[in-house]
Parts: sequence; structure tokens; C-alpha cells
Amino acid sequence: MSSSSSSSARRFPDALRRRLARVFDGWLSRRGPTRPPLTLHYRQVFILPTAFGWMIALLLHGMLLGSLNFNNSMGLLTTFLLTCMGLLSLHLAYRNLEGVRVEAIHSEPVFAGQSAEVRIELRETSGRGRAGIVCLLPPDPPVEGVDLSASGTALAHLVVPTERRGLYPLGRIRVRTRQPLGLFEAWSWVHPRTSIRVWPRPAEPAPPRPEASSADRSNRPGDESDEFHGLRGWREGDSLHRIAWKASQRHDQLLARQFSRTERGRLVFRLDTVPVADVERRLSVLCRWVLDAERDGVDYGLDLGWTRLEPDHGPVHRNRCLDALAEHP
Amino acid sequence: MRTRLSKLSVLTVLAAFLVAVAPHLWAMPPTLWAFVAAAIAWRAGAEVANWRPPGRLIRVGATFLGLGLVILQYGTLWGRRAATALLCVMLASKLLEMYRLRDGRMVAALAFFLVATQFLFSQRLELVLWLLASCWLATAALLRIQRDEDAPRHVRPGHRAAGVPGMLRAGAGLLAFALPFALVLFALFPRLGSPLWGLPEEALDGRTGLSDEMSVGEIASLFNDDSPAFRVTFDGTPPSRDQLYWRGPVLWDFDGRTWRRGFHANRPIDREPAIDDGALRYTVQIEPTERRWLFALDYPARWPDDVRVTSSFELLSDEPLTTLTPYSVVSEPDFTDTPVLTPLLRRLATELPDGSNPRTREHALTLRREHPDDAALIDAVLRWFNEGPFFYSLETAPLGRHGADEFLFDLRTGYCEYYASAFTVLMRHAGIPARIVTGYQGGFWQASDEYLLVRNSDAHAWVEVWLDGRGWVRVDPTAAVSPSRIRDGARSAVPGAGRWLDADWIFGLRNQYDRLQHLWNQWVLGFDAERQQSMLRRLGLQALGVTGQAALMIAAVLLLGPLAWWLLGLMRRDPRSDDPAERAWRRVENRMRRRGVRRAPSETVREWLPRAAAAIRNGAELERLAANYVRLRYGRPASEPALRRFIERCRRWRPLID
Repeated sequence: MSSSSSSSARRFPDALRRRLARVFDGWLSRRGPTRPPLTLHYRQVFILPTAFGWMIALLLHGMLLGSLNFNNSMGLLTTFLLTCMGLLSLHLAYRNLEGVRVEAIHSEPVFAGQSAEVRIELRETSGRGRAGIVCLLPPDPPVEGVDLSASGTALAHLVVPTERRGLYPLGRIRVRTRQPLGLFEAWSWVHPRTSIRVWPRPAEPAPPRPEASSADRSNRPGDESDEFHGLRGWREGDSLHRIAWKASQRHDQLLARQFSRTERGRLVFRLDTVPVADVERRLSVLCRWVLDAERDGVDYGLDLGWTRLEPDHGPVHRNRCLDALAEHP
Repeated sequence: MRTRLSKLSVLTVLAAFLVAVAPHLWAMPPTLWAFVAAAIAWRAGAEVANWRPPGRLIRVGATFLGLGLVILQYGTLWGRRAATALLCVMLASKLLEMYRLRDGRMVAALAFFLVATQFLFSQRLELVLWLLASCWLATAALLRIQRDEDAPRHVRPGHRAAGVPGMLRAGAGLLAFALPFALVLFALFPRLGSPLWGLPEEALDGRTGLSDEMSVGEIASLFNDDSPAFRVTFDGTPPSRDQLYWRGPVLWDFDGRTWRRGFHANRPIDREPAIDDGALRYTVQIEPTERRWLFALDYPARWPDDVRVTSSFELLSDEPLTTLTPYSVVSEPDFTDTPVLTPLLRRLATELPDGSNPRTREHALTLRREHPDDAALIDAVLRWFNEGPFFYSLETAPLGRHGADEFLFDLRTGYCEYYASAFTVLMRHAGIPARIVTGYQGGFWQASDEYLLVRNSDAHAWVEVWLDGRGWVRVDPTAAVSPSRIRDGARSAVPGAGRWLDADWIFGLRNQYDRLQHLWNQWVLGFDAERQQSMLRRLGLQALGVTGQAALMIAAVLLLGPLAWWLLGLMRRDPRSDDPAERAWRRVENRMRRRGVRRAPSETVREWLPRAAAAIRNGAELERLAANYVRLRYGRPASEPALRRFIERCRRWRPLID
């Protein structure tokens, strides 16, 4: 009982925070678009002093008060000069971000435990070079920034560590700059459309892979050595060198050579037959089997109960299988 | 993101700190000076030669060593000199641990603050250059540090803030843009009519100018000080030079060595002069002395409210003069000061320590017997000074216990203090009430700008004697010995004392420079609440009030904003390209444009080329260059030598016209 009350106490501020984040996101999206592709304009750009900026402001207030009190003209001149430079840097920080276009945000799937790399594609649209544009996913610390030449593009990289398989929506990405003096930080929030897909960690070691019912024992990979069977319409996922170019030209559609592999039998990995108790462990084992089967050039399918993938092979099929494993409820 | 400073950042911060601290070092004792310099040198060495960062013990030790040195040298941490020295020393020890970005920023920001503290001591014109230089370097350091923080993985080769020149250029740009806004703020920011708090007297530790006591031989140090003491502008014609006796402290008490004002000296004035046609109206701008003395001609009749006038017509400001201070005075030369001398004052003005200067006393009694009339006696003494073997010289010997005796009968060589002191002792022995007045005599007349420049080297001491029916009367024994001292200033009275700086042309140059300084003082330093109001009045904006003035200021800044924006646009119209190949090619296009073949913005190089090549004789060369350019600009990245060759060829290339 005590544990449940403590966990709900822990959950409450969490829920509140999520709720506040939702309110903030709603307000943000009412202000203007926040999903890429978007160009950052004054509605998207926020600006506030940095900690160093506040310190300088305090220092300047002290200098102003002292100089005014003693009517020290040069002291006043210094204070005003620095103040104006500071305010100019506010303007320049804004100008450094305004007009930057966030074209797209991608991330490649990774296995649990690896770091996912998020690539943010930036484009300069106003014809003036930008310096030191940093993208980060709060509360992570910022990584290195990028420079943009006039009308040029650049890729910003974010590294997100992963622990568990699944689909993780990327949070708000903060695109910010502190140029030129580090006194002010101008930033925008961008909501990525994509999530990070995290595949299960391949089990190591894994129980032996089940064999197909009437398996060809040879582990010889490759297609072309198999007997040519016929042509069929090219499907996404077929390897490019299986395309029958000449035949395709004649038929005005892409045709792929099909090889006779019927003797290999059908190999379908079923979740409920994996000899491990824990579901996550089972998914890990399935992941290992999928990878091994793909490496060995064996056709394989996947049956997770809620979805079934017919036996096939190739990188696209492999990714489809791994995605299914990642998305397993 | 990086959190540590790059080598370039460290060196830039050190340079900014060095420049900002330089004038402070100048005024510091050698140990502190050496401490700060050593810290800077060590940090620079550590960065260049990759020395190990010092351990915590060394850093803490250095901090306490610095603190100890300041206390040892100044005896206190209170007072402006000690406090700024402490700031410099603490920043210097901070350098030892300046490895992170935030430390670098801290030092750069405090370099700005060091600049401002320097103006507590001096606000001379040349310091403006120093102000700009230090702000420039510190800004460049901040730019560089921000660059470190962003630490872009791929720095574009031509990026502006990448190298030192780019950084300095960016810093200068920021400074140049901020300057007009700063001037608007300076002119319109509401000033305080009276200070919120005063500077505690103990905090005033610098000592310049005249002191309120006089030991014979002391003013001599002032004669070498050519810095301005004050400047005067007259309404109407200024009096002749031999009337320019700027009265300061009046000294009554003599203990045998030192003249002091005495305890009764602060009595308020009892009779104010009436102003008539001969009155002199003038405004003095006095350099900060950290004392209260103001200087005026005989006899002040009108003075500002925050000034007190004593019974000896000394002017005392309510607050010590810590900044350049203007004050206006009306003086009435035609006035009888103290027609009736009370017995107390007579006693004070004839008092001498017992048993001192027996020979002077003997001589005074002899003179008294010969000249029963006071005026005749004074004349006789002045004649003696003038015709006897008395000499005016700054190079003289110090005096012993019977100073007047030694001077009048043995040494007979000295300057104003010697003469004034000996003369007063002689008068008092003869029973004539006499007192010493210190101040300044003469000044340099800047004819072009119509102001009188009085330097510290114009310091002078003279005597006032009280004569029945005439009150206090000025007598200048130095003038009797060396009339040129009064006519032409102390400098001319000492033949051959010249340092090389005394050459006439240098002196002339310095007088010219002082004109600038005077304008600076008048329009910038002297720009206080009063002057600000009068400026607004002249603009027809009398009754603005502080709120209105603030609104005016904001409006002016807002007006200036679009102007700056427009200027920024002008500068961007022909932006410097980041690509060196493009910059080189533009040179070629500019040469062609001057020949009348201009590439329209909508035209590509290839479209423009046939037209351009046809217009000149060496069109084939232009085509080769263009092909080269297109390859460099849009093709695969070229090698560095190929790029350099192309740039060189573009630079050399000239269109040939038939």
C-alpha cells in the first residue's frame, strides 16, 4: 500500500509535467507551424538572456548607478557603449536564427542499447551566412553547432542513447543560437514528425534457430546459382541485380528474375515457440534469428500473433521483421 | 559543445585583460605590478607551451599572496586605489585557473569593468582611445569564446569569425554600430542632479594638487607637474596676467617648519563684497583633486550654492572634487578685506614660535626702527629682495630649524615658498600682521578658444599683510626677486632648467592638445544634469521632466534603429562571399563592369560570357578563367594550390580594349 501511494505520488508531478508540456505544445502550435519543413520566423523564435547575459546586465546596472552617482561621464559612456553592444547582440542572435529552414528530421532505426543518430537538415533561406546553430533535445546537453553559408544547407546531428525496444517519439527539438557574444539565446521549438524506432537487442547467446520443415542443409548463400524459374513483377525489396533489365524494357515494367527455391521449405519464426520465458527475451532471440537467417540467405517469416510476415529475404524484409519486433505490444 | 577554451580564446582574453589593466598597472607599486604581469605571462606561456595547470594549492596560495600584497602595499582594502588593485590582482590569480569557457567569459566581462574603474581616477581625452581598444579586444574575446562553445564540426573555410582578423573585424563592427546609440543614450539619459550617496572621505586616497598646508620646499614637486589644474572662461575681457592670483588655502599658523590654516580658519565670511562695474565674471572647470578647495580671484562675491566661503575668502566645495567640476564665480577686485582687525586676529597673524629665527628678528627690529610706517617697511624689504643678492631658482637647498634666517642671510636662492615664508616671518617679527596665501598664479591663455589654462606647475605662494585702512593687501615677494616669474610663468624664470620636453614646439603642441582636452571637458565630461537641461532648453524641450526625457531617449533610439538597419542593408548589398574563388572572380567581373560589360543579377556566368568575351581583345583568356571559375565554384572541391593559382590569375587579369 505504501509502495502504491509513493508511486502515485511520483507519478503525479510527472503527469502534471506532461499535462503542462501538452498545454505548452498546444500554445506553440497555435502560434504557428512547428513541424518540419518550416522556416523559423519571428513567431517561432524566442529570445532570452543567458546566465552570462544576466551577469553582464547586473554588472552594467552597477556601473550605471556608480557613474550616474558621481556623474562620471566616461564611466557612463562605457556603460552605454556596452549596453548598446549587448542589445545589438540580442538583435544579431535573433537574426542568426530567423530565416533558417528546418527541412526534415530523420533517424535510422537502431538496436536497443545503441545510440540513435537524429539528423536535422537545415537550409539557409535569407542569403546571409549563419554561425553556430545548435540543435538539442532538452534536457540533453547540446552537441556541436553547425554553420550555414548563404543559401546553403547543413546537417545537424543529435545522438540519442536507447535502452529498450519500441517506438519512441522524439520530443521537441530546440534549435538555438547564442551568437555572437553569448549574452542572449535565441531558440525555436521544432516537433519532429518521426519517431526513433528501436529494434530489440539481438540475443547473445541465442538458442539454435529452428530449421525449415524440409530444409536444404547447405548454407550456401546467393540467388544466381539457383535454378532460374521465371520472371515476375519487381517488388520493392527485391535486390537490384535481380532485375531483368532487357525483359523489363520489352514489357515496359520492371521485372525480376525468380529462382526456383521451393526445395528449401518454409521457415517461419513463431513468438510462442521460442524456448524462453520472458517476452522481451523472446523478441531478442527472434531478432537474433532474423539477423542470422538474413546473413545465411535463408527465406524466413515471422509470426507474432498480431501480425504475420510471409517468408522472404532481403534488407527490406529484414527491416520489416525487425520493425514488427520493435512494435510488438 | 565544448566547455574548454581554445588556445586562440585564451590568448585573446589575455590580450584584452592586458590592455584593460595597463593603466592600473601604471599606478601600482612594483610588487603588485610584477604579480599581475607574471600571472599574464605564465598563463600565456602555459597555453603556448602546454604547461600543466597549477594545482589547487598553488591557485589558492597565489590568491592569498595577491591579497596579502595589496594589504601590505596599501595598508587597507578600502579606497579606490586599493580596491581596484585588489580587483586586478584577483583577476590575475583567476587567470591561473582560466581553462573553462565560463572563466574566460568572466575575465573578459571584468575587463570591461576594469575599464570603467579607471575613470574614477582620470577621464582624460586620450583614455577614450584606450576605452575603445579594450572594449574592442574584450568583445573579440567574447566572440571567440562563443565560437568555441558552438564548436562547429565543419568550419567553413572562409567563415568570418574563424580567424583572428575576422574576429577583430566582427568586434570592430559591433563597436561601431553600438557607438551612435551609446552617444544618444549619453546625451539624453536623465542625469542625477545631486548624488544619491557621497564617496566616503577615507576612500579618497590619491593626492594631487595643492594641499592645505605648506612646508617650505613642498610645492617644488608641483612645478614638474604640467597636468592641468583648472581652466577658466571669462565673460568679458580677462584681467591682465599679473592680476591672476588664484587664491586657495590661506595659512595663518606657523610652527617653525610648516604653515597651516589654523583652527579658526573655517569661520564663515562676515562681509560680502558688493558687485560693481569692475567685477569679474568667470567659470572655472577644475580637474578632480579629491580635496574641497576651489580657486578664485580676489574677492569672491557670488559663488554656487554648494560652496562655502570662509572669512579668509577661501572657497570650499561641500563635496570633495572627484570628477571634473565646473563652478561660476563673480569676483570683485575693488574691495577692502577686513578694515578692522580684531585683537584675536592680530595676535594670530603675528604669532611666531618662540626663539626661532633670531637673525630675522634682529633684522626686523632694525627695519622697524628705520621705517615706522608699515607700507614703507614693506617697500624696503621688497627693494632689498629686488636689489640684493637674491635669486629665483627651483634648485635649492632644504632649510633647517631657523629656516627664515638661513634663507634670508645665507642661502638667498629659492622659489615662491621660500620667499613667502621668510617674508611673512620677517613681517610678523616687525609686528605687521601677515598670512600666506597658496594657489596658482597666471596661466596660459588659449587665444583661439578664449580660455585660460592653469597648470599644476603654475602653483604659487604669496603673502597678504594687513595695513591700517587698506585691510589685507597682497604682496608677492617672489615678484620682487623675479618679475618674469609673474610675467611669464615659472618655466621662464628658471633658465636652463629645461628638460627636453620644454622645447618650445613641444610646449606649443601640448597647448594645442589641451585645447582638444578643454573641448572634451566642456562637452563630454562636464555634461551634467544642468548642462543636459540647458541643451534640452535650447532644443525647445523645457518642461520634459524625467519621464518625458526618458520617452525622448527611447524615441531617439527607435529612430536610430531603422537608420542602422538601413546602413546594415547598404553594407549587405555587396556581401563579401565566403568562397575565395567567388571573391577572386568578382574582381574580374568588376573590371569588366568598369569597361561597361555588367553581368545582370539574373544572368549566369555562362550566359554573360559570350557578350563579355566579344567586347574585349583577350576574350579567350576570360573564357578560360570563367571555365576555371565554374569548375572551382560548382565542381568537385579543388586543391589548395589550384585555388591559389586561380586567385592569382584573377588578380593579374586585365581586360584589353582595342
